[in-house]
Amino acid sequence: MQELFMGVDVGSVSTNIVVIDKDINVVSSQYIRTNGQPLETVKKGLKQLKSEFPDDTRIHGVGTTGSGRQLVGVMIGADVIKNEITAHATATIQFVPDVRTIFEIGGQDSKIIVVEDQMVVDFAMNTVCAAGTGSFLDHQAERLGIPIDQFGGKALSADRDVRIAGRCTVFAESDMIAKQQFGFSKAEIIKGLCEALVRNYINNLGRGKKLEPPYVFQGGVAANEGIKAAFEKEINHEVLIPEHFNIMGAVGAAILARDEIFVTGRKSKFRGLSAADLEFTPRTFECEDCPNHCEVIEVKVNDEVVARWGDRCGKWTNSVQQLDL
Amino acid sequence: MKIGIPRALLYHYYYPFWKTYFDSLGIETVVSSPTNKWIMDKGIKYSVPEICVPIKVYLGHVLELIDRGVDYIFVPRFVSIQKGQFFCPKFMGLPDIIRHTFPEMEPVMLSPYVESTTDDLATSLKQYQIFEDKFGITRSDNRKALKKAETVWKLFREYSLNGYDIPEATQKAMSEGCQTIGDYKRSLDDKYEYAEVTIGVLGYVYNIYDSVISLDIVNRLKEMGVRIKTFEMIDDETLKKQLANMPKTLFWTFSDKLFAAGNHFYHDPDVDGIIHVTAFGCGPDSMLGKLLELDSTKFEKPFMTVRIDEHSGENHLQTRAEAFVDMLKRRKRKLKKGALA
Repeated sequence: MQELFMGVDVGSVSTNIVVIDKDINVVSSQYIRTNGQPLETVKKGLKQLKSEFPDDTRIHGVGTTGSGRQLVGVMIGADVIKNEITAHATATIQFVPDVRTIFEIGGQDSKIIVVEDQMVVDFAMNTVCAAGTGSFLDHQAERLGIPIDQFGGKALSADRDVRIAGRCTVFAESDMIAKQQFGFSKAEIIKGLCEALVRNYINNLGRGKKLEPPYVFQGGVAANEGIKAAFEKEINHEVLIPEHFNIMGAVGAAILARDEIFVTGRKSKFRGLSAADLEFTPRTFECEDCPNHCEVIEVKVNDEVVARWGDRCGKWTNSVQQLDL
Repeated sequence: MKIGIPRALLYHYYYPFWKTYFDSLGIETVVSSPTNKWIMDKGIKYSVPEICVPIKVYLGHVLELIDRGVDYIFVPRFVSIQKGQFFCPKFMGLPDIIRHTFPEMEPVMLSPYVESTTDDLATSLKQYQIFEDKFGITRSDNRKALKKAETVWKLFREYSLNGYDIPEATQKAMSEGCQTIGDYKRSLDDKYEYAEVTIGVLGYVYNIYDSVISLDIVNRLKEMGVRIKTFEMIDDETLKKQLANMPKTLFWTFSDKLFAAGNHFYHDPDVDGIIHVTAFGCGPDSMLGKLLELDSTKFEKPFMTVRIDEHSGENHLQTRAEAFVDMLKRRKRKLKKGALA
């Protein structure tokens, strides 16, 4: 039987679930809007997988990444729980082996990853501000009344250049409104916006870094042709968009799970596709045993506590027996 | 009579000194609790918004001590411990910040004026004369107490130089008192046998050793199996050498030490990467951070800045720290493989 590995990337805007075979071919992929419900979204995805694959299908290893990696990792029984930088880079290196620079723009995170000899040597992530990420583009598309999937294409039809202030997205919005009043078309405004976002991104994250080609652009925002064009204009070089650009984090997590299982030879901790039927209840409480008032996150499966974390002293974390479900 | 010592700012560098000094004079001291939410919230409430987070936290500690009913609060005025160099103005004006924020505290503050030519505080007796008048201490008792404090503090420094972090070194030096130096060489390799990577963590003691301010970055890294090196583990001679080709110093003593330590880490083959932990809005660090960041490519060692304030989120820090450690580990494994092939 085919050896399959699953990767789950739980992000702020989308949750991606990918299944690869042992030769790293993507055999199934889903891109689902998270809508603020990571657990429900993952359950939905698992149900979908169950219907796609025969009943006796076994997943040999599972990796999770993204901001919800810990919670979902506990829920489905992940073998690898990895940060997004490592996951993304792993996938990119797989598909574009000579990659040197990775631009990744997701829903609320943006990153630059510098690679040398298939190895991450430097990275930067947006820290205090989410200017120019997918959430903002979503919002602007809505405001201009253009579906998000046509938003970027629109930029390509612009005749004139217009400079939008891109330092802060709130100010960018007021600047856009002003420029609309000056008579610039929607297409021109969108083009100006794309360029402002790229400029801001390169200035903030790329500052002081030597960015060498080949450049790979991935993450949900890579679907936006306007941003791609703006990148190419800004760095004056072709930018590659990999086939699985919007699920690279999940692909990376799957590859990492595959490597982990191959190296250790262990049996996967995955609870199985039927994990979707288990009742998962996460809750957060404030521990009041000391003045730190840590926020402790607790996950219950069918009324049994399977994980706790978030406490500084480890009292809660260590109180949970490792369960095998 | 009790003197309250805020567990903040240079507490993390001089506590063994201060504690021994007061103990030998028979004066009881109370140290505020490790920074917690209450302390942080109080500090923020009473500070001007744009000041850096360690100063905000300091105010919180002062308030906690008052709450606990101490008779005096020890708020030294650090001006200089190195010729031609000074402390950040917030240190020089610390007693003034406190008395203008809480006018009722002015009479209970003990604020020695710290100005010396070395970081060994026992070298200038002048600053301790205020205690003679206040508590009726004889000159000779004062000298003796200083001598004792110096011995313990030097022991503490010796522990640091042997690779112990500040909490470890403090505990060791304080519990062993005046034990002779030399028989405690850390079995560093024992403890770190399994540490795959070593990270030079640059930051002021009051930030990186305050687990609330720094979001516990030191322990987070240790849990990931990382060995930590910090500036206070490097001896003065080595630091000085690193500054030899700088046309002038950075004016601020501890910033200068950090800058030298950063350069040392770049040259030290044991150090795989550097993390600079800096409080949002820190003036001296804007110079320091940039200078070091620019050298990162030259030495091909990753350098990451972690900027912290009271709004910092743990998740984000965790992701970046994990990614940084992961990058270093993978890099190292690959290099090792290469060397074997």
